[in-house]
Amino acid sequence: MKSKTNKKVIKAAKETVFYLFLTTLIAGMLLPVYFIISLSFLSTREAYQYPLPLVPAIKTDMELGYGERGYLLSVWDRIDKEYQTVLDTADLEKMEYYIKSQLGTKITEEELLIETSRLENSDEESIFFTKPRALLNNYDTFFTVTRDAVPALIRSLQIAGLTILISLSIGGLAGYAFARYIFRGKDTLRFSVLFVRMFPGVAIALPMVFILAEANLYDEPLGLSLIYSVGAIGLTIWITASIFMGIPVSLEEAAQVFGASKFQAFMKVTLPLALPGLAASAMYIFLGAWNETVAAIILTQFKPTFSVVVYQTLLGASGQVNLAAAGGISMAIPAIFFTFFLRKYINRMWGGVKV
Amino acid sequence: MATLEIKNLTKKFGRKIIAVDNISLEVHDGEFLVLLGPSGCGKTTTMRMIAGLEEVTDGTILIGDVDVTELPPRKRNVSMVFQNYAIWPHMTVYENISYALKLKHMGKSEIDQVVHDVARMTKISELLERLPTQLSGGQQQRVAVARAIAVSPKVFLMDEPLSNLDAKLRVSMRTELKTIHASAKATTVFVTHDQSEAMSIADRIVIMQGGKIVQIGSPEEVYEKSADLFVADFIGTPPTNFFDVELKKTGETLHLVHPHFDLSLSPKNAALLQGYDKDRLVLGVRPENILLANEQAKIMSTTVLVVEPQGSHQVIAFKLDENIIKMVAPAQPKMKTGTTIHLNFKQEALRFFDPDSTLAIGN
Amino acid sequence: MATTKPKSLRKIWGQATPYLLILPVVIYYAIFWVRPVIAVIIGSFTDASGIFTLQNFVMVFNDESFFPALYNTAIIVIVSVTIEFIGALFLALLINRKFWGSSIFLFLMLIPMALPAVATGAMWMTGLTAHGWINSLLYYLGFLAEGEKIYWLGGLQQNQLKLLALVIILDAWQVIPSMMIILLAGLQNLSEEAKEAGYVFGGNFITVLRKITIPILQPTIQTAVILRLISAIQIWLIIVLLLGFGRLPVLVERIVYYHEEVPGLDISYQMAAGYTIIVSVIVSLTALLYLRVSGAFKKEETV
Repeated sequence: MKSKTNKKVIKAAKETVFYLFLTTLIAGMLLPVYFIISLSFLSTREAYQYPLPLVPAIKTDMELGYGERGYLLSVWDRIDKEYQTVLDTADLEKMEYYIKSQLGTKITEEELLIETSRLENSDEESIFFTKPRALLNNYDTFFTVTRDAVPALIRSLQIAGLTILISLSIGGLAGYAFARYIFRGKDTLRFSVLFVRMFPGVAIALPMVFILAEANLYDEPLGLSLIYSVGAIGLTIWITASIFMGIPVSLEEAAQVFGASKFQAFMKVTLPLALPGLAASAMYIFLGAWNETVAAIILTQFKPTFSVVVYQTLLGASGQVNLAAAGGISMAIPAIFFTFFLRKYINRMWGGVKV
Repeated sequence: MATLEIKNLTKKFGRKIIAVDNISLEVHDGEFLVLLGPSGCGKTTTMRMIAGLEEVTDGTILIGDVDVTELPPRKRNVSMVFQNYAIWPHMTVYENISYALKLKHMGKSEIDQVVHDVARMTKISELLERLPTQLSGGQQQRVAVARAIAVSPKVFLMDEPLSNLDAKLRVSMRTELKTIHASAKATTVFVTHDQSEAMSIADRIVIMQGGKIVQIGSPEEVYEKSADLFVADFIGTPPTNFFDVELKKTGETLHLVHPHFDLSLSPKNAALLQGYDKDRLVLGVRPENILLANEQAKIMSTTVLVVEPQGSHQVIAFKLDENIIKMVAPAQPKMKTGTTIHLNFKQEALRFFDPDSTLAIGN
Repeated sequence: MATTKPKSLRKIWGQATPYLLILPVVIYYAIFWVRPVIAVIIGSFTDASGIFTLQNFVMVFNDESFFPALYNTAIIVIVSVTIEFIGALFLALLINRKFWGSSIFLFLMLIPMALPAVATGAMWMTGLTAHGWINSLLYYLGFLAEGEKIYWLGGLQQNQLKLLALVIILDAWQVIPSMMIILLAGLQNLSEEAKEAGYVFGGNFITVLRKITIPILQPTIQTAVILRLISAIQIWLIIVLLLGFGRLPVLVERIVYYHEEVPGLDISYQMAAGYTIIVSVIVSLTALLYLRVSGAFKKEETV
């Protein structure tokens, strides 16, 4: 009996250590992600503080007093633990704008008017008031203020969609041939994934500009998706071949014997069975096209993709780290969402891939 | 229903590999024909060519006098039970069975009728709404059979349909397939590598080896009148025992001389060997044709090496030089390792083979 | 039947099917890959007026950052592919144990792969500046005194090794998941029996891993490593995002530099083309060498 309980204790201890280890691992790996998320919620004022606040504030404590030019606005600093004067103005509109853009807090002019009259009517030198933070303010600002953010988002979705369509149809056909037939040049095709990658993508972007210009596709979503497909098709061949190999040929043959043509057999049997795997490869292609930045910078001019817009917010003159973080996170959300589904199909996608 | 005729059928993979080498055979209307042979003998390739799943390199396939050699599978009016069943996993049992009927533009009520009929015949009426993943191996097998008979094909093809079942189920499914065949009266080609399965189920057996047909005949024929050493060895458990013997003539009697025995042949057997002019041959004796004999009738004596009791009978193994010989004896008296036994051969069941050509002598 | 029948339409059609299926890919590659590649190759062997010359390569070899770039790239490739492979294999083995919550763990581990380069760029840029979140975190944890700061991206005195190490770590962070999924797929197809047999015959975790799991996993490892090797040689974006051009030169960064940063120069296109060809040759040779050493070609003959 005693040894049994001992064993149980040891097992529980082992498990605890194991999960502790996992938690540490996840925490370590995702710490940077946490900070970029946290940053995307910080107010501009806080985003440039050092040390950086560990968690975004959910409210802003403000103090209103009399200044030389009008009212003196101070704000509670969580790091220094004191009210710090940030603005001296009589212009409430300006104050409202400041609170919104720098403190990430929404307050109307009417509310400010109420506060100022409260100050005027009181005997105190200053009054205090608290407003909840507009946590999504950076996201709001990113999409409303940044030139092109919304159209760029739509373009990026278009491009990703077109890339999926092109790579999956062209690559999927080849992947099917790969899984079902023996033919000359099969090995060459198998290595094409590698060949295409052996040539630096940035290097061919410039000649691509001419090719796209020739076809009137320069600075067009379709043009960019055609370029993205070059890289995506190779992997799609590998992955779809792996998926089709996972579906027994005999299922298709049975359909043929029972009265279906080859095409019908494919449509009625193989395709529905491959669909989840194909959806997973579509998500995979989506990730690549959606996240791509370099070729997009080179190959767009007036119609940037969403990633280019985020890139410009990050590095451009107007750059603000918290806005860029909000942009980056907005970009990451669909990608992470797809990854959540993708994880179940890893085996189907890569299980049959052999160099 | 229809006849199936294969003429000079050849299948090459690439330039060098000849999977099926110029075979011809005829399957009669309603017949249950088994293609039997070891793996790689070309039996499955032959069946796949009949189905149209494999292109024919050379030769012709006729179904009911129609040349189908160049037709795609769907136009051949055949149906097939696959080794791994090939039940479509995303369709219910009902959909699996009705899909082919739908493709034939059969009416809805008619389809329903047919599906229920074959489901009853194959005892899967309660499973019609299930998905294949919810079925056991045996049930999937029944669905595959139901699907195949629902289309009432001209020829019914079965590619090792029982090989994925466990031993007990395999034997009971044999009987059922036979019953279903009897009621559906479908011309059937059945591929297997299991000779006992072939023996128990076939009207006729086609034995293949190395892409060629070695023998065609009823189960009794291939068993008793095996055409060559390969068939004699392949058919029957335990297999035929072979003895390299010398042919000698003393006066009018022919003798087969072996280091361990000297057998004088009956006149009937001697007549069989009349045209044979070599002085060596291979004697084939089936295990049940080695008989326990008394001192006087024996041609040799030996000691028992191993006894395998089988209930109804016992298999006795003994050693002649380096060769293990197996014989089948009645369950009683019980034999023991080390017992001395006297043996004789059943003269009328002896088979003789030419050691060079491996073919049977006589017939 | 000595005469062979003329091939029927169905036969020809049947044999042509695979070629018809791959035709779109071939055409696609011809237009969108072969053409630009040939353009670059021609560009690398001609001068600005389009006359054949080898001068471009001479210029590249005389570029003072060529050898530093080569050297940095080599270090990054060797160290990062090694680290990433070990890390990815470790995680794959861990997740393959299928413990409670392993599916969610897998998802969390895949997040770095899903993040767009700009997002990771923003992440590290805001992290690695002197006022960044990494220093802040260290400050909160008590590793840094008030006012004390670590200049991650180099102060005045540049320490190339430190920067290399930084780049390798950041790259590993993002790349390990995509390598892991390939290995994980391979592990999931591995039969448990083979491993169990290893344990039954007295192997411990390490010997089973070395003698059974890794050899059986070999083709998968090849896939993962070759893909990684090819892209590791072409690393540049993270470096440019963090350090700008020229601070830590690597090969592909040079291509982009001549393309994008100094396009005014007469020779910039030629330099970029020259660098491109050199990179492609290096990548191809490395890939071939790896495939030869790992035995990928041998197996093909038997297939």
